[in-house]
Amino acid sequence: MYRFCLAGNPNSGKTTLFNGLTGSTAHVGNWPGVTVDKKEGIYRKCAEPIAIVDLPGIYSLSPYTQEEVIARNYILDEKPDCVINIIDATNLERNLYLTTQIMEIDVPVILALNMMDAVKKRGDKIDADELEKRLGLPVVEISALKGEGLDKLMERAYETCKKKREGKTVIENTALKHLIGDIKIALEGHGVKNPMFHAVKLVELDELEVLMHKETVNMVEAFKKTHNDKTFGDDFEALIADARYKYITKYFSPTLKRKNEEKFVVTPSDKADKILTHKIWGFPIFLVILFAIFHLTFSENLFFLGGVLPEGFGKLEGTLFEGVFVGDSGINSLGVMLMGVVEVLTGLVSELVGGWLSSSPEWVSGLICDGVLGGIFAILGFLPQILVLFLFFSILEDSGYMARIAFILDRALKKFGLSGRAFLPMIMGFGCSVPAMINTRTLADEKEKLATVRVIPFFSCGAKLPILTAVAGGIVSYFGVGNVDFITYGMYILGIATALIAVILMRETTLKGETPPFIMELPAYHAPQVKNLIMLLWDKAKHFIQKAFTIILASTIVIWVISHFDFSWNYLTDEQMELSILAGFGKLIQPLFTPVGFGSQLKAFGWVFAVAAITGLIAKENVVSTLGTLAACIGAAAIDVEVDGGVGAVSAMIQATGVTLPALLAFIAFNMTTIPCFAAVAAAKGEMASKSKFNWTLLFWVATSYIVSSAVYLIGTAWWTAFIYLAVLVVAFVVIKLYNKKRFAKEK
Amino acid sequence: MTPIEIIVIIAAVLIVGGVIVKSIIDRKKGKTSCGCDCSNCSGSCSCCGTKNKEENSK
Repeated sequence: MYRFCLAGNPNSGKTTLFNGLTGSTAHVGNWPGVTVDKKEGIYRKCAEPIAIVDLPGIYSLSPYTQEEVIARNYILDEKPDCVINIIDATNLERNLYLTTQIMEIDVPVILALNMMDAVKKRGDKIDADELEKRLGLPVVEISALKGEGLDKLMERAYETCKKKREGKTVIENTALKHLIGDIKIALEGHGVKNPMFHAVKLVELDELEVLMHKETVNMVEAFKKTHNDKTFGDDFEALIADARYKYITKYFSPTLKRKNEEKFVVTPSDKADKILTHKIWGFPIFLVILFAIFHLTFSENLFFLGGVLPEGFGKLEGTLFEGVFVGDSGINSLGVMLMGVVEVLTGLVSELVGGWLSSSPEWVSGLICDGVLGGIFAILGFLPQILVLFLFFSILEDSGYMARIAFILDRALKKFGLSGRAFLPMIMGFGCSVPAMINTRTLADEKEKLATVRVIPFFSCGAKLPILTAVAGGIVSYFGVGNVDFITYGMYILGIATALIAVILMRETTLKGETPPFIMELPAYHAPQVKNLIMLLWDKAKHFIQKAFTIILASTIVIWVISHFDFSWNYLTDEQMELSILAGFGKLIQPLFTPVGFGSQLKAFGWVFAVAAITGLIAKENVVSTLGTLAACIGAAAIDVEVDGGVGAVSAMIQATGVTLPALLAFIAFNMTTIPCFAAVAAAKGEMASKSKFNWTLLFWVATSYIVSSAVYLIGTAWWTAFIYLAVLVVAFVVIKLYNKKRFAKEK
Repeated sequence: MTPIEIIVIIAAVLIVGGVIVKSIIDRKKGKTSCGCDCSNCSGSCSCCGTKNKEENSK
C-alpha cells in the first residue's frame, strides 16, 4: 500500500485534513504539540487504498524539538511515497520556509494550499499555477475545514508518488552553493541517501548531521576559514536561513496578490487578544471564564435567580422528576438537570432489580443491589456533568482561547523559571493526566519536564470530577452551606495554585535551571467545529461507560465481597461489616489520615473514607463508587437511610461517621493531590529518566497531598492557622531566594 | 446452593478475572495504559505502552 505523510507548520490544518481524508475523529487542538506522535489512517477513494500519516507540526527540519526530530526522521528513514506539504495560505511566506527544506529530500512532494476560503474571504489571490511553475512541485488549492479540493489533492498526489524525484535546494547564487555541491558529491561517494538534504544540513552544522557524517565536517571548517560574510560572519545556519527567506520573497511571494497591501492588519482576533491577553486583566478574566463554566455545569441556582422565583415554580412536586429542573435553591444548571434525570432512571432500575431479587438469598441481593448497582450508579450520575464540563473546555480549546492561557501564564511566571510551554501539558491535565504527561515530551529542558510531570495530577482530571461533585453535593445537602459550583471551582483553583507553587519551589531548588524560551503561534479565534465537539463528547461518554462496566464494576464486586466476609471467610450481614476483611484493613490505615481530618477522629465506619482514597489508586472514579457501595450497606444497616447516587452516598457517610465539613474538603484536596491512578503513574514512570526520580515523584505526591489536605483541614477548623501557613510559605521563599543569590554570587 | 447463587458467583469471578486478565494482555500488547480510545485523545497514540516507545527510540 502506498504511504503518504502530511507535513506542515503547526495550525496549518494537517489534522483537519487527516480527519477529512481518513474519516477519523482524531483530536484537533489549537496549540503546537497537540500531536506529539504520528497518527495513521487510510484513504480509500483512489484506485487503491493509501495509508496517510499525520506528522507533528514543525517549522523546520532542524532537530530543536521532539516534533521536528520525529517528522524529519519519518521522512528520511521511513521513506514515504509522497509528502503532502500543507501550507497555511494565509501565511504563505512563513510556511514555505519548511517547503524549501522538504524539497531538498529525494522524495515526491506535493503542496496543499490550505485555508483558501480564508484567503478568498480577505480578498487576496494566490496564483497556484505560477507557484507550481516556480517551485517545480504540484500545487493544489484546498480548504480542509470545508472539505474542498481533497479528492483533487489525493489524485494529484497519487500521480506524483509514481514519479521519482531528486532533492533540489533554493540556496543558490550564494557562495555556499559550491560548498554544498562539494559536500553533496562527497556524500554521494559514500552512498548516502538524500545527499542534497544532508549536505545543506552539514553546512548549517546541524547537530545530528555532524554526528552522522564526521568525515565531511573538516570540509566545512576549511571553507569557513576562507569565507567571511559581512552580516552573519561564520554563522552558516543564519546565512542559510536568510538565503531561504530571500529566495521565498523574490520568487514565491509575487504569486500572492494581497487586497490590502499593508503587511500587518489588525484582525478581530488581535482586537480580542488586547483584552483577553491583557498584561494585568488577562489572568483574572481567565478565572472569571472558568467560574462561569463551573456555574453553568454545577450550579443549583443558575444565574442566582432562586430568590426571585415564585414558591414551587417548576419543581414538579409529586412527580417522578421532582426537584430535577428546579430545586430548593433555584433553577438547576444543565449538568445538574441531566444528573437528576440519570438518578431518576437509575433509581427506577435499582427498584426494579431489588424487586426481582427480593426472594433471592440475602447476599445475592446485597451484592447486586448494594454492591454493583450502588457502586456503578454512584458514578454514572456524574456522567452528564463530566460531559457538560468537557463541552465547555472543548469550546475553549477549539476556539483558540486555551493557547492564550499558556501565553498569559508564561508572561507571569517566566521570572520563576517557568515557560508557557510547560503549561500546555498542564492544561491538558484537566482532561486526563496520561496524555498530558506524554505531551511533556515537547519540553526540551529535562528539569522543566520533570517538574511539569510531577504537578500535572494536581490539575483535576475528568475522573476526579465525581469526587469533587459528590462531596461538594454532600456538603451542601447535609450541612446546608455553600454551593456546589463554588466548592468545586474553589477546589479546582486550589489544585492549580498547588501546582504553581510546587513547580516554582522545584524550579528554585532541586530542579533549578534556565527558563527555556517560549515561542508559540496564537491561532486566530474561530467558532468551534460542532461535529468535532459531538464526536469528542461521544468518545468521552463511551470511554466513561466502558470504564464503569469494567474496572469500576470489578472493583465494586471485590469491595463488596471483602466487606461482607471476615478473615475466616464467614459471611457477614451489613450490620456485621465492622468485622470484615475490608474493615480490618481500613482500620489499620485509618490513623494515617488523622492529620487530615478523616482518620481516627471519626466514629464507626470512618475507615470507609480511608479505603475509598486507596481504591482511587486503581481509578479515581473508584473513590465515589466505593463510597456508593459501602454507603448503601451502612445506610440500610446502621442509620436507616436509603442511599441514592453519589451525593446520597456522601450524605449517608457524613451521618454515619460524623465527619466534619473541613475534613470533607480535606478529603477532596487529598484525592486531588495524592498519587494519581495507576495509568497516570505508569505514564509518569515512562517519562522519567531514572527509577530514583520516579521514587522521589511518588514521595512528592504523598507529601504534597498531606501538606495541602492538612492545611485545608486545619484552616477550615481554625481559620487563624492560615496565617501560619502563609508565613511558612513566605519565609521558605525568602530563604530559598537568599540562598540562591548567595550561591550565584559564590559561583560568579 | 441455589442456581442463582451459582450463576452470580460465576459471573462475579468471570467479571473480576476477565478485567484483570484483559488489563495484563493489553499492557503486554503495548495498548493504551488508560483504557481510552486514542482517536479522540490529544495525546493520540503517543501513550500506547512500550510499542510506541520502541518506535520513538528508533
